[in-house]
Amino acid sequence: MTPITSKICIVGDFAVGKTSIAERFVNNQFSEKYLTTVGVKIDTKEIERPESGVIHKLVIWDVAGSDRFDDTQYAYLRGASGYIYVADGTRAATLASVRQLQEQISQRYSDLPAVALVNKSDLASDWEISDEQIVALGARFNGVFQTSAKTGDAVEGAIDKLAALILDTVLQDS
Amino acid sequence: MSDLDRLKSLLFGAEKEALDSITERVERREIRTADVADILPEAIYQSHNKNAELVESLSEPVGECLQRVFQEDPETYGNALYPVIGPAIRKSIMHALRNFAQQINAAVEHSVSPTGLKWRWQASRAGIPFGEFILQRTMQYRVEQAYLISRENGLLMGHVHHEASKIKDSDAVSAMFTAIQDFVKESFSPDRTGRLESADMGEFTLWAVHGPHALLVCVIRGVPPKALRADLSAILERIHFRYGEAIRDYKGDTASVGDVEVELERCLRFEARRERSERKGKAGLWITLAVLLLAAAGFLGYRSWNYSQQLDRLAAALAAAPGIHVTDITRDGGDFVVRGLRDPLAPGMNGIAVSADIDAQRIAAEMQPFQSLQPEIISARARTVLAPPPSVQLAVVDTALVVTGDAPWQWRRQLENRATALAGISSIDLGNLTSSDRDAFVERAKQLDQSRFQFASGVNLATGAEAEIDQFAEEFQALQADAADVDFSVVLSLYGSTDSTGDAAANAELAQRRADVVAGLLAIHGVSVASSGRVSELPALESSADDARRRFVQIGLTIQSAQ
Repeated sequence: MTPITSKICIVGDFAVGKTSIAERFVNNQFSEKYLTTVGVKIDTKEIERPESGVIHKLVIWDVAGSDRFDDTQYAYLRGASGYIYVADGTRAATLASVRQLQEQISQRYSDLPAVALVNKSDLASDWEISDEQIVALGARFNGVFQTSAKTGDAVEGAIDKLAALILDTVLQDS
Repeated sequence: MSDLDRLKSLLFGAEKEALDSITERVERREIRTADVADILPEAIYQSHNKNAELVESLSEPVGECLQRVFQEDPETYGNALYPVIGPAIRKSIMHALRNFAQQINAAVEHSVSPTGLKWRWQASRAGIPFGEFILQRTMQYRVEQAYLISRENGLLMGHVHHEASKIKDSDAVSAMFTAIQDFVKESFSPDRTGRLESADMGEFTLWAVHGPHALLVCVIRGVPPKALRADLSAILERIHFRYGEAIRDYKGDTASVGDVEVELERCLRFEARRERSERKGKAGLWITLAVLLLAAAGFLGYRSWNYSQQLDRLAAALAAAPGIHVTDITRDGGDFVVRGLRDPLAPGMNGIAVSADIDAQRIAAEMQPFQSLQPEIISARARTVLAPPPSVQLAVVDTALVVTGDAPWQWRRQLENRATALAGISSIDLGNLTSSDRDAFVERAKQLDQSRFQFASGVNLATGAEAEIDQFAEEFQALQADAADVDFSVVLSLYGSTDSTGDAAANAELAQRRADVVAGLLAIHGVSVASSGRVSELPALESSADDARRRFVQIGLTIQSAQ
C-alpha cells in the first residue's frame, strides 16, 4: 500500500480538551513536554485505507490553546492539510473562539478540510451550547461532532472523517 | 460610388483588394503583432547566425530587464538559480580551501614528529597534499541519519539511517523539527530570515541544510568538518534539480518523490573515522615498545653492571687463588673466558666460581699448565708428591721444606732426595721430625742385648735355659726381620763365662765351648752368630753363689746403621 502522510492541526481555546482528543486517537505520542516549551505537541496515527490502497499517516500538530494566534502558532499551521477545531460544550465562549480562529486562519491560509468538535459531551448537564448553535456551526465546517475525550465518544469518527476528506483531496491532486 | 471609383474598380479590382488587405495589416496592431510573432524566432535565429549585432543590441535591454525582475521578485529567481549558484559558490570555496590547506601544509612542513612523518608518507602515497590529509585525519564523524523535510508543511519526504541508529517515529521527528525550526525562527530572529542550521546534543550534531522547498536534516555522530555542509548542500541541490515541483508541491504522497531515498543514501556515505581502536592499539604498541626498550635498556644496564661486578669478583678470586696467573679475561656473550697459566695443583675453576659467586658454567678456562713457586703450591706439591703420613706436617719457609711430626723411617729415608727434587725446594729441615718406629727398634735390640743363658755345669745348660734360647732365637729373628725397615743391621756375638774354680786355661776353653753350644742351639733356629768369645771382665765375687751364677753365655747384640 502506498504511504501518504498528512499534516493536520488541532486548534481551539484553552482547556477545551485538544490534547486529550489527540491522546484518545493517536498511537504514537511524541514528547508531550514540547507542548509547554515550544507550544506544539506532535503525535502520529496511521489509518489503513485498503479500498484506496493507501496507508494514511496523520501527523497531528496539537497547537497550544489560544483564542488568538500569534506568529509562532501561525507558523505551526503552515502546510497543514486539514484542521480540527475544538470547542468545550460547557463553555460557550470557546465556540466563539473557534469561529474567530477559523476566520483568522482562513484569512492567512486557503480553505482546507476542517471538522469542528464540541467536546466534553460526557458533561451534558453543564452544557452551554444549544443545538441551533451547533447546526449553525455545521455550515462552516465539513462536519461538527459532539465528542467526549473522556469516554472516547465520536472522537475517532470525527478525525476519520477529516482524514478521509484530506485523502480525497490528495488522491484527486495526484 | 463615384465614376472614378467604379473605373478604379473595373481597372484594378483584384489589386485594390490586395492593397486594402495590406493596408489593414499595416494599420491593425494586433495583425502586425501576430505577423512579427510569426517570424520573430526565425528572424532572431537568422540574425544571430549572421553576425553579433543581435547580441549586442539585446544585451543592454535584457540586462536591464533581468535587473528589474531580480529586484522585484528576488525569491523566484533565487530559487530558480539555486541549483546553479550552489556549485559555483562551492567551487570558489573549494579553491579557497585548497589555498588554505596549502598554507597549513607549509606551516607543518617542518614537523618531524613520528605521526607527522607517518602521515606525510601516507599522504604522499595517497597522492593528496599533506594539509588536506591532516584535516581528514583529525576529523571524526559519521552521518547517522538524514531526513528530507518539506519546508512548507514539515512532512517527511524521505528518511535514511544507518542500521545501528535508534529511530523514533521519523514522521513525528520531522514535524517536531519543523516546529522547533519555526519556534526558533519566530522567537529569536526578528526579521524571520534566520534559521536553525545546527544543534549539538552530546556526541551528536544536527545539521540542517536549507533548500528552497526542502530541508535536509542530518544527524551526525562526532564532529563533522565544515566541508561536509557543502557536500550535503550538493545532495540537496541534486534532489531539488531532480524532483523540482514534486518537492515544491509535496502534500504527503511519498510516491511523488519516489526513490528520493536513493539520493539521501549518499548522505550516509559521509564518514571519517580516526580508527580509535587502531590508534589506541598503536599507542599501546608504542607504550609497550617504550616499556620494552626501557626494560631492555635497564636489563642491559643491569647486566652490564652485573657483568662488570662479576668480572671484578672473578679477577679478585683468580688473583687470590695460588698457582694461577691470569693474562686476560675476555667476554663471550654473557660468559667469561679466562686465559693464563695454571699450576695443576691450583684450586679448580669450580671453587673459584663459587668464591666469585658466578655460575661455573659461565667460566671457560683456557689455561696453560705451569709450575708455580708460590709457597701454598709448593706445599701442595710436596704433599702430593711426598704423600706424608697423617702424623707429619709439611711447611715451606722460603725455599726450605720444614717437616715436623713423626714419620716412619722408610718414608723419612726417601724424603730428602725426593723433596729436594721438587721445584721451589732447595733444602729440607728435619730437625723436628722423629721416627718412632726406628726408636722402638733400638729399644727392642737393647732389651735382647746382654741376655744370659745359665749353665748347670760343664756344657750342660741349666734347667729352662734351652727354652730361653728358643725364645731368644724367635725374638732375635723378629728383630732381624724388622731391621731392614729402619736401615739397621744386627750383629750377634756370644760371650762364654765360667766360675772361678779350676785353672784358667781349662776355664777359657770351657767358656768357648759353652758359647759354641748356644751358637749350635741358635743355629738350629737359623740364627747365625757373627763371633764368640769369653766375657772379658766380670765384677768381683761377693759370694759362692755368685760364683755359681758365673756359668753362663751372654748375648752381645750390636746394631749398625745400614747407610
